[in-house]
Amino acid sequence: MIKMEKDILELENEKLEAGLKINYLTPENCEFYETAGGFAAIRVGEKDYGHINVLRTFPFSALWEFLSVREIDGKQEEIGIIEDLNLFDKASFELIAKQLEIRYFMPKILKIISIKEEYGHAYWKVVTDKGTTMFTTVAGASGAVSKIGNRIIVKDSDENRFEIENVTALAPKELKKIDLYL
Amino acid sequence: MQDRISVAEIPKELEKLLNAKNLINGRVLAFATADMDVNCDIRKNVLILTENELIHGLAPAVTTEHRFSGFKELPTDYKDFTFNSFEVKAISNIMVDTMVVGGIFRADVFSTERAFCAFTNAYKGRINRLAEILKKLINNEEIGEDLLFQEKQEAFCPKCGTPYPEASRKICPKCMDKRKIFFRLASFFKPHTFGIFIICLMSILGSLMGSLLPYLSGSLLYDEVLSKAKNSQILKAIPINDFSLLLLMLVLTMVTIVVLQQLFGIIKGVVVAKIVPNVVCGIKNKVFKAVQQLSVSFFTGKRTGGLMARVTEDANQVSNIFIDGIPFILPNIFLIIFSFVVMFSENWILAIVTVISLPLIIIVSLKMEPIMWHYYSKDFQASRDMRARLNDNVTGTRVVKAFGREKGEAKALNRANDVIKLTEWNSVDFRNKFTAMFQFAIVIASVLAWSLGAFFVLKFWEPEMSYGTLVTFAGYVSLLSGPVNFFSYIFQWWSSSMNSAQRIFEILDAKPEVVENPNPIRVEKLKGEIVLENVTFGYEENRDVLKNITLKVDAGKMLGIVGKSGAGKSTLANIITRLYDAKSGKIFIDGINIRDMAFSDLRKNIAMVSQETYIFKASIFENIAYANPTADKKAVLKAAIAAGAHDFICKLPDGYDTIVGTGGRSLSGGERQRISIARAILANPKILILDEATAAVDTETERKIQAALSELIKNRTTLSIAHRLSTLRDADELIVLEDGKIVEQGTHAQLIKLKGTYFKLFQIQTKALAMRGIGD
Repeated sequence: MIKMEKDILELENEKLEAGLKINYLTPENCEFYETAGGFAAIRVGEKDYGHINVLRTFPFSALWEFLSVREIDGKQEEIGIIEDLNLFDKASFELIAKQLEIRYFMPKILKIISIKEEYGHAYWKVVTDKGTTMFTTVAGASGAVSKIGNRIIVKDSDENRFEIENVTALAPKELKKIDLYL
Repeated sequence: MQDRISVAEIPKELEKLLNAKNLINGRVLAFATADMDVNCDIRKNVLILTENELIHGLAPAVTTEHRFSGFKELPTDYKDFTFNSFEVKAISNIMVDTMVVGGIFRADVFSTERAFCAFTNAYKGRINRLAEILKKLINNEEIGEDLLFQEKQEAFCPKCGTPYPEASRKICPKCMDKRKIFFRLASFFKPHTFGIFIICLMSILGSLMGSLLPYLSGSLLYDEVLSKAKNSQILKAIPINDFSLLLLMLVLTMVTIVVLQQLFGIIKGVVVAKIVPNVVCGIKNKVFKAVQQLSVSFFTGKRTGGLMARVTEDANQVSNIFIDGIPFILPNIFLIIFSFVVMFSENWILAIVTVISLPLIIIVSLKMEPIMWHYYSKDFQASRDMRARLNDNVTGTRVVKAFGREKGEAKALNRANDVIKLTEWNSVDFRNKFTAMFQFAIVIASVLAWSLGAFFVLKFWEPEMSYGTLVTFAGYVSLLSGPVNFFSYIFQWWSSSMNSAQRIFEILDAKPEVVENPNPIRVEKLKGEIVLENVTFGYEENRDVLKNITLKVDAGKMLGIVGKSGAGKSTLANIITRLYDAKSGKIFIDGINIRDMAFSDLRKNIAMVSQETYIFKASIFENIAYANPTADKKAVLKAAIAAGAHDFICKLPDGYDTIVGTGGRSLSGGERQRISIARAILANPKILILDEATAAVDTETERKIQAALSELIKNRTTLSIAHRLSTLRDADELIVLEDGKIVEQGTHAQLIKLKGTYFKLFQIQTKALAMRGIGD
């Protein structure tokens, strides 16, 4: 029994200590591959984790850096952090990028056709990289349109997100339309 | 079942197509749609789950148009969809991966991972439901009605077909019955009928006075008095030959009219000042009263949270339209008709030309006023942000100084200040533009009247017109600008006010989810026996926090509840106190179903001491006596002594009269906790719930609180929830919750013997404490 108690405590302590260290994933110590379902998976050394979750730790300020790679099941424990995805080969980059695109689905607004306000709601018609898109925002709701540097994130009434990558690239007419919401 | 629909309902044309293709095999259990393929391209998907198969249909191509909530969905042509069927037997490991927006539905088919579709947020609920049903089907579990039926989720107004701008709030702003709302709203003003009558009367009299001025200062002044006309109408009415006296009388009349106009305005203002605060206060009181009756779930819901925040603004908004809007409708209509009658009778040609130019005023108002309000709201938001930053800076001054961030904070404040400067500049700039444009629109009408009128005065055109008539005419043109402007925004104002009123009535009409039995069983004194039978509960649909909990706690015994965060410990306490009702299963106290028990008896007999202490702004005495407001000083002192709070209270300069809470004297975590224990002791409940009562305090304070608690739990049924197992050592029985289920149950000794989760947690805690030299 004494031995068992020791084991539990030591095991927990080891886990704690391991959790305090950052495990950086580099092209040298890991390998990404695609599962049959088309998802990203990882092998770190001898261990094959299979299907993984990739999270941006800085979703607005660092799109390809400091990506947290996590197990998909259970507690979703962190496998490691990718300091810079650009260091990986093209295939790995594309695989992870696709994963991130799904996770952070946010059509890019290329053109603002119209924003009409009626009864406390703003009805947007825009052209995004996914085609012509129409959505509604609640006028005056906090965070419906937020500006981060030159980027603009628009959240619709369903909490879907849309992005204007560079607000300065908008035509003056479009800028005028959106200016009231900034 | 009226407001619920079966999740198996398939669009008719799809059903026809699937039947024609012979794809439906067995009873349909669920149907769901999704809007993206697995590459996140916009592409319609359908999922049909039957007893035997999962059918996945995918649109032939990526669509280039996508409509989210608030817009009418594009019709779907299922004809060219590609359908794949998967035997339920072959499916395993079903997952709905939650993404930042929406998610992905995937499963293993013949042990090979397969992603079916991706979806945005609006599709989440239905896909989750289908996945749940599929899981139950695979595990041969019973599929409850709660899964097979769901609340009607129409995205469109059934009356006009307009999509609901907020799917969760099924209110169509276009066809909500504004008249009904208006009359209901008018009931708030019923006690002030006389006041409203005075306001209307004063507005009418004011307008009447205003409408006389152009005539007096035009035709009468120039054509009758100043021109000393021999055949003057005024001379016929007032036989005075002295034109100077006549002029003096006219001037005095005009001054009197202006003074009367002001007087009517002042009387109206005084009445308004009396009515508005009363009505606003009345509305808010009604809302607050209604809110107190509502269940906890109402406040935790996102939608209703937003409603609450806006309701205080709404009360002002609806009151304003009754005061500054409606009483002016009649006077303004009167002014318009009166002006038109005078203008047309004086010179119909000039009147037509002038009237044609009036829509310009309406266009300017309609186009520019909403933009101006946007600028004002931006200005207001910037000021609010600045205040928030300043407040953070002042309250966090110790941190700012400790990290030497004074300069950085000053810079950040400057930046916020610059934003205010910019927004103020923008709003002033736009206001100037608006004023200029509005004035310009008015001037155009006036200039037209003056310049064209001159031709009539100079007799170039027929009919002839006197100078005084022209002045009167131009005066009425200027007078018209007010009512025209009023009617250009009153409709929008009316709409938004009725929207505000709708939000108020939503709260007033909200039905509490937890309701008292109309014929409750009254039990004065309880013994405290608690029995739970197969209790299941979840805060959200399809996400059960407690699953089939069955347990019994004898009267006067202590049950310790152990488990990780999110295991459902506090939820168990919430459903026993009926803050929420269990989804299924029954809870009995002393053999009586708590749903049949009177609220007052249930709440009187249960007290809770939790980690979150509620200290409100009042004296310490009142805070302790909160549970029993009739308690005298002796009883409060006794409770405070038992709670170990008496000593620290005595040492405060104002003792039990010390004002605590927001703006009052600040208390430490341990002190606040001991006050809430004293409150519970004073309530003298038969059932006591301790929810992490000592989690936020240091070891020394914990010991003191534990001593107070051991006094409190005597002769009471106690449910004690704690992370620190040492606090549960005295429990008669312990349960370990994991993922909403009881995984271990027994006494401390029995659970140690079991060498399961409890044993593991106990070992870790005692060893860790021993290593730090804190253990017993």
